[in-house]
Amino acid sequence: MLFLQLLVSGIQTGAIYALTAAGFALIFGATRVFHVAHGAAFALAGYSFLALSQAGFPWFVGAGAALVVAVAFGLFMDFLVYRPIQRHEGSFFTVFVAAFGMSIVVQSLIELGFGRGFVVVASPLTRAHEVLPGLYLADIFWVAVGVALLLFGAVTLFLERTRIGIGLRALSENPELLRAFGLSSRRLSMVAFGLGSALAVPGAVLTAMTSGLQPAIAAQVMLVSLAAAVVGGIGSLRGAALAGLLLGVVENLVVSVLDTQWSAAAGFVVLFAFILFKPSGLFGQAVAR
Amino acid sequence: MIAYLLNLATLATIFGILAASLNVLIGYAGIFSIAHAVFFGLGAYAGAQLALQFIPDVLLACLAGGAISAALSLCLALPALRVRGEYFVAASLGLQMMAVTVFSEAHALTGGHGGLVGIPPATLFGADVSGPAPFLVFALAVLGLLLLAVRLLMRGSFGRALMAIRDSESAAEAFGKDVRALKTLAVALGCAMAGVAGALFAFYMAFVNVESFTLEQSILVMAMVIIGGTATLAGPLIGVLLLLLLPAGLSFLPFIPPTQIGAVQQLIYGLAMTLLMIFRPAGIAGGRR
Amino acid sequence: MGVPFSIRGLDKKFGGLAAVQNVDLDLQEGVTTALVGPNGAGKTTLFNLATGHIIPDGGEVLLDGKSVLGQSPHLIARMGVARSFQDLRLFGRMSVRDNVRAAIEPTAWLWQPGGGSAARKREAAVDAALDRCGLTKQADARAVDLAYAERKFLSVARILATGARIWLLDEPASGLDPHSRARFVQLVRDAVAEGVTICLIEHNLDIVTELADRIAFLDRGAKLAEGAPQEILRDPKLIGIYFGEQRT
Repeated sequence: MLFLQLLVSGIQTGAIYALTAAGFALIFGATRVFHVAHGAAFALAGYSFLALSQAGFPWFVGAGAALVVAVAFGLFMDFLVYRPIQRHEGSFFTVFVAAFGMSIVVQSLIELGFGRGFVVVASPLTRAHEVLPGLYLADIFWVAVGVALLLFGAVTLFLERTRIGIGLRALSENPELLRAFGLSSRRLSMVAFGLGSALAVPGAVLTAMTSGLQPAIAAQVMLVSLAAAVVGGIGSLRGAALAGLLLGVVENLVVSVLDTQWSAAAGFVVLFAFILFKPSGLFGQAVAR
Repeated sequence: MIAYLLNLATLATIFGILAASLNVLIGYAGIFSIAHAVFFGLGAYAGAQLALQFIPDVLLACLAGGAISAALSLCLALPALRVRGEYFVAASLGLQMMAVTVFSEAHALTGGHGGLVGIPPATLFGADVSGPAPFLVFALAVLGLLLLAVRLLMRGSFGRALMAIRDSESAAEAFGKDVRALKTLAVALGCAMAGVAGALFAFYMAFVNVESFTLEQSILVMAMVIIGGTATLAGPLIGVLLLLLLPAGLSFLPFIPPTQIGAVQQLIYGLAMTLLMIFRPAGIAGGRR
Repeated sequence: MGVPFSIRGLDKKFGGLAAVQNVDLDLQEGVTTALVGPNGAGKTTLFNLATGHIIPDGGEVLLDGKSVLGQSPHLIARMGVARSFQDLRLFGRMSVRDNVRAAIEPTAWLWQPGGGSAARKREAAVDAALDRCGLTKQADARAVDLAYAERKFLSVARILATGARIWLLDEPASGLDPHSRARFVQLVRDAVAEGVTICLIEHNLDIVTELADRIAFLDRGAKLAEGAPQEILRDPKLIGIYFGEQRT
């Protein structure tokens, strides 16, 4: 039963990772910006939800505020950090360092505002029931899985069926097509950052209610999204989501074989092995040399 | 006060070596590693073990630390030869995370979380050099020697070939440069220097544990190099001074509560990283782009 | 006359698409050959295959009659094959002088073979190459800061200074003003007079007729024809393909 229990909690973690990683992959795929401040958007969303919940607002107000904050942060990064750097043709590393700097800023602001410790939003959803002998499941498991499936389906539909969605997919590969479609790349990159950041929100809210938030969560989420995006094949939404799910499950299952300390490293062993032996990832095209 | 200044000067010297070594990778070879604290740590553990098990000779420890780090630098050279850009950053991140786990779990070699304690006072050819002033002089001598070596190498054909690879790998190859060998050598050189810095660090602190070799440390060193200016001799040293003096300066400001200094310091250096990348990507010592 | 460089039955597919198919090409000593053909004909791919930057699926690459197939680009370069790139690929953040220096240093270790006299010879070669390309004044400027034509000449200076006996030039004169173009033509003629074997990709047919002794015409990865410039450039079918007539 332990195995099943770990698998279930792995799927719950994985659903959160999958959505967040899909956001990262969406942004990277469309704009070629390695948005390592994505974790900061996650942390900001989580803490906004926390602050409003503690102030006594109902959950949907908190979640709405989290959405607004995350999207605003994504657009802020696009407009005020990435655009100016790209305008003077900064290298990818310039972008990376700037984004990293911003996530440090966000993390320390959260530390100043909320302290260093773990904080959790209490919710009746997290109360566990015994569904099978020895297998405990909280309602939030179904919420996490349901929300992940629903949102992933919606984003996939959006990307495949709408004009803007198709434009997003073409943005990095085929700029001429965009002009033919009459879409502006500036507007599309706004959409990518807004939508991508929004995808971090459900994970942030769910994490605030389950395992809790701490300032360093920005860095953790960033690492997981990045690992999932690479393992899935950089730019592939499907790959990133699947790899995020996989990382969540692996992280939890490793505990049954090895000490808990190794669980965080397991994901990075997978990441390192993929880069060495299959850098194109699960679903990516071959890496251009 | 004298003791305080000596302490600051010694730390600045050790971090100067560390930053100069990362500059070989980032500035000259274009290898954007964020796993540099790993090699700093390897050198520190190697130096500490040598002192604990055999002989507390600081010169031997520096050589041992450098050798161990150079040997294990293959872990970094391998992905550097296979992938570039975002992928390499991700790989080095994976390496950093794995190494931290190994450092905290390999009790026999690293002492685990508790670290290695009771490193004996440093000697040099049998003479005691553990006093603050003699140790500083020794560290400065090492720094001077290594800077001289870097300058000679980078002004010569080795440096030109490395920079050629940094600017265009395929063109460097088309002019007869053995890219694989040169990149491997550059990684070994940079990591060996980091190992030397680590050995010095171990003697100076008389205690080492994994806390000093985490991702945060890698980012701090990277920030030193970037903020100071890459591919210049003075840049990394300027960065070191700025980032070490910053916390020292902050502790003199009366209106910041002591418990918040850490967060304020992080905030400032995160902000500095982002703003520099936007307005002056070549760093303080670098020319305008 | 020898044939220092030749290609036999070279094939390369990218994802099922034939980029180069069954191409033969002989570069004869001291002869300038131009590769001509519409965009996407596989000209640059042919260069990449010849210099080892891409491994062919089949065929042979012979240098002085010996196979160099599968050798890495730096080894092929050391045998005296130098090339330029369409997008130049200068060493952007290095000075003009260091660009040329880096190109001609035979090793990257601390000591170059030959000691001081070889070093003086190399410096003389750098100076001469910069002078012939009109870059002496800009020797200390960074490559990225040069004007367009100057950057083009720097890419030629790197090759010139190496003393390589085979030059593969990828659109070296595109976008040059008439004055610079004349200078470039003179540079190539001087090199040929010194016995260099040249193969160049060029779209400007005036330059082709001015420089080339032979033309190889490529289309969709295959060599359609090879011969003297007058023959090729008077063939209405080839010219039709070249200027993008409707193909059936």
